[in-house]
Amino acid sequence: MKKLLTGVLGLFAVLFVSYGVRWMIFPGGIAPEFGLQLGDGLGLSSLLGDLGAFFLTLGLCLASALLTGRRLWFYPPAMLLLFAALGRTLAWLLHGAAFAVPMIAVELLVGGLILLGARTLAERD
Amino acid sequence: MLRGWLSRFLPLAGALFLGAAAAVAAEGPRPNIVFILADDVGFTDIEPYGSEIHTPTLSALAEEGLRFSNFHTAANCAPSRAMLLTGVNNHLAGVPNIPELLTPVQRQAENYQGVLSHRVVTVASLLEASGYHTYLAGKWHLGSAPDQLPSARGFERTFALMDSGADNWEQRPYLAIYDEANWFADGERTTLPEDFYSSEFLVDKTLEFIEEGLGDGRPFFAYLPFQAVHLPVQAPREYTERYLGTYDAGWDALREARRARAQARGVIPPEAPMVRMESTADWDSLDAERQRFEAKRMAVYAGMLEAMDFHLGRLVAFLKARGLFENTIFVFTSDNGPEMRGPANPHGVIASRMATDLGYDQSYERLGERGSYNSISPSFASAAASPFAYYKFHVGEGGMRVPLIIANVAGQERGAVVDAFTWATDIAPTLLAAAGVSPPEGRFGGRPVLPMSGKNLISVLRGEASAAYGPEESIGYELTGHGVLFQGAYKARRHAPPAGDGSWALYNIVQDPGETEDLSAKEPERLARMVAAYEAFEVSHGVQPIPPGYSQIGQLASNMFVARLREPLLTVLLTALVLLAAAGWLRRGRSS
Repeated sequence: MKKLLTGVLGLFAVLFVSYGVRWMIFPGGIAPEFGLQLGDGLGLSSLLGDLGAFFLTLGLCLASALLTGRRLWFYPPAMLLLFAALGRTLAWLLHGAAFAVPMIAVELLVGGLILLGARTLAERD
Repeated sequence: MLRGWLSRFLPLAGALFLGAAAAVAAEGPRPNIVFILADDVGFTDIEPYGSEIHTPTLSALAEEGLRFSNFHTAANCAPSRAMLLTGVNNHLAGVPNIPELLTPVQRQAENYQGVLSHRVVTVASLLEASGYHTYLAGKWHLGSAPDQLPSARGFERTFALMDSGADNWEQRPYLAIYDEANWFADGERTTLPEDFYSSEFLVDKTLEFIEEGLGDGRPFFAYLPFQAVHLPVQAPREYTERYLGTYDAGWDALREARRARAQARGVIPPEAPMVRMESTADWDSLDAERQRFEAKRMAVYAGMLEAMDFHLGRLVAFLKARGLFENTIFVFTSDNGPEMRGPANPHGVIASRMATDLGYDQSYERLGERGSYNSISPSFASAAASPFAYYKFHVGEGGMRVPLIIANVAGQERGAVVDAFTWATDIAPTLLAAAGVSPPEGRFGGRPVLPMSGKNLISVLRGEASAAYGPEESIGYELTGHGVLFQGAYKARRHAPPAGDGSWALYNIVQDPGETEDLSAKEPERLARMVAAYEAFEVSHGVQPIPPGYSQIGQLASNMFVARLREPLLTVLLTALVLLAAAGWLRRGRSS
């Protein structure tokens, strides 16, 4: 069970790092996957910088958690994903955005798995 | 800031002044201009040039104006468009070839980017600066970066395709090199409507643009580069059905029939001989089922052309209804000769796989309709270029000599055939002269620009001159190692391997437009002079050599491979590097 969870979370860590790389290096390919259009000027700078940082932090913290076994590393990626799900829900409720069920579901699922990992995989605080 | 504003404004103001001054010099109200560019249409593909395909709108325009029988463009798409729109040789205009066929080494040269250079100015920019409304609806293919879009190159309203081609029924790429069909409206990425059919939609857009601009007294320049009849060859069923049975006798019969009609219409000399291309298959060796399929492939092609002509007719009718027709100059031409890249057997393993990978159907019943990928084979392409040798991507007359109709220029002759040699760069200066606008002289828009090298054809149109070029003036052209030099009635031609053996041949293309008799042994001195002139052209125009073993298909495949795999491979590599760096950092932290 622990090996399976480690493997699944490891795959997500690699996936998130690759997303970060794509946002920073090949944004034209990944932007449409998120329903976004690349703008220009400050908007383009913010989009690439913020989303690249989001996914690199997510993936590298998760990888660090799995490599070191330290519980502390599990919390930032879980928080990022769960806050992202919360933000999407609020965007739907308050701002008329689409209710992105598949993305919210993935964020909740993976965030939950990471918290489960914090309980079962962490060897040190 | 003020300096920046002035640097932008002053050249524009200067250009406006010059344009206005020239316009004042012109007689009467300035004419509207409709520049229609068909895609891959062969010399005898339209009725006024000997086609069996029903193109009444073009026939009427030919009656109103003049048909040119010795007009040449580049042998492929974007280089022709660059010359047609700027009046500058394509090698100097930054488009020696389409980007899809350039090698990485060639791309290191500034003039080998495959996109329109900022060293040239488009006829649209010049007309816009002189007060014209400028519209584009159709294929651009001269660059898709923000500063390369048609909206940044002189077109006020645009609906433009950035790629070499695309599906005619929906927003879908036709080559695996593209992730999607890249359409832009007024500089912004856009999507196509559900009921899209290319020729109909592009004319609708042109009508919309013209209608919006009417009323302020300003003339318009509408550039209408159709997708017809580029790959994929697609047409509404009712148009295709008009030609079922027309091509049952095969390509040789069609090539011969078109030659006879072209002779009767006076666009080629009587008894002009022609060669039979090696790529032309034996029609009689095909079984009945295959003949039926091939005939329908060509019927779709004919239907696509007739549909284009029909929708063009709507534009003409609109202008007549608004009383604008008489004061509207029409130019119709094609960017190059017919496409021969359609597979000889579309149901072969590779051809089928390519169509299937793109999600296309190739069944007989749905051929050319939505979701169906169609083309014509090299054999019917040779008939489309009748009576010439070769086709698109090759420097035989079949690839470079195309129809040109010019109508409604003030004082021009009507209904006749002009046999003077003319070249793609001649269109832009002719349009400017007709509009009373001066060509660029040194600078435009705050930057230095190259002068137009094309000839103003007004005196030829008015019958005041019988030739645009002197007998010793030469025009050079190069594409992927294929070389051409036109001089008077002669043409020196070299096809690089694998299309040829790299040796030069000499033809008199006035008497022998089919390039059947190589005169190099009879006139070696003339050939030597012309080859020397060609070599000087290569130097002066920055022609880059092709690497050994280069082939157009091979380079396209290589560029497709790189385009498809570069991003995923680099993503995997960079992801691995980031993770390894993180692991190393953690290990160091743990050990310390």
